[in-house]
Amino acid sequence: MKKNTTPLVDEHLQTIDGLQEVATDEFFYTRLKARMERNKNEQGWSFPLKPVWVIGTLVLLLTVNGFILSQQVTTKKVKTTETSSLQKFAESYDQTISSAY
Amino acid sequence: MSEKELIQQLRQGNEPAFRWLVENYRNRVFSTVLNILQDSKEAEDAAQETFIQVFESVSSFKEESSLSTWIYRIATRKALDKIRRRKTRQKLHKLLPWWMPDEKRSTDENFQHPGIVAENKEKAAVLFKAIESLPEKQKLAFTLIKVQGMNYEEACEIMQQNVKAVESLISRAKVNLQKQLEDYYKTIK
Repeated sequence: MKKNTTPLVDEHLQTIDGLQEVATDEFFYTRLKARMERNKNEQGWSFPLKPVWVIGTLVLLLTVNGFILSQQVTTKKVKTTETSSLQKFAESYDQTISSAY
Repeated sequence: MSEKELIQQLRQGNEPAFRWLVENYRNRVFSTVLNILQDSKEAEDAAQETFIQVFESVSSFKEESSLSTWIYRIATRKALDKIRRRKTRQKLHKLLPWWMPDEKRSTDENFQHPGIVAENKEKAAVLFKAIESLPEKQKLAFTLIKVQGMNYEEACEIMQQNVKAVESLISRAKVNLQKQLEDYYKTIK
């Protein structure tokens, strides 16, 4: 004979033997219709407030911000390099402005 | 009214036919989602969403299964979606407690099923608590067959799985539940 390996489960299952169907109240249909009407009226544009949308928007904003910042740093570096090469050019021809005194 | 006629009328948007369907299925659908969700408020919500989807998508119902199987399939999907969302909210609450408030479930921590006789309530609550922590598919199979009392064929059609797969899910669920119940009784000793 096969040994029962789940005696506790079987014992607990006996407590839900003959589980009765749970009834909703008689106004279920009224609430359902009201919700369907509400859904129909709300089908226009609405701001998505679900966490996934909020977090997504936040991540997108941070990425755009980071991209713009990194672009600005690169532009500054290019500008500095351009200025220093112009200065070197002027120095090599002794064209730097110096005071007469 | 035959099932074919009912489907036809539902497709035409006939309100009395929809009302008839809701009145005939509301308790069965509510019981099914309540057994899965173990929360009356969420179960009411899932039951409503089920009927809304039935109304909106009956035109695409291919009649490959019976109407009741199709309705149960929608209902179980809605219930599982709610469980997934509940888990996401709980994770978010752990990550960002200031932004995502802790949700208060409409029932006590131990679910007291309204369809169980008083003297069995305590033990049944322990069982429901253990069922709640089962993996999704095991939970669904166990709930439909062992809690709801559906036959294997019906449950297989709803879950779109073959009998062997569902039997395997049930047997794994029982092993997992046995472990959990043993642990539970060790901790309270």
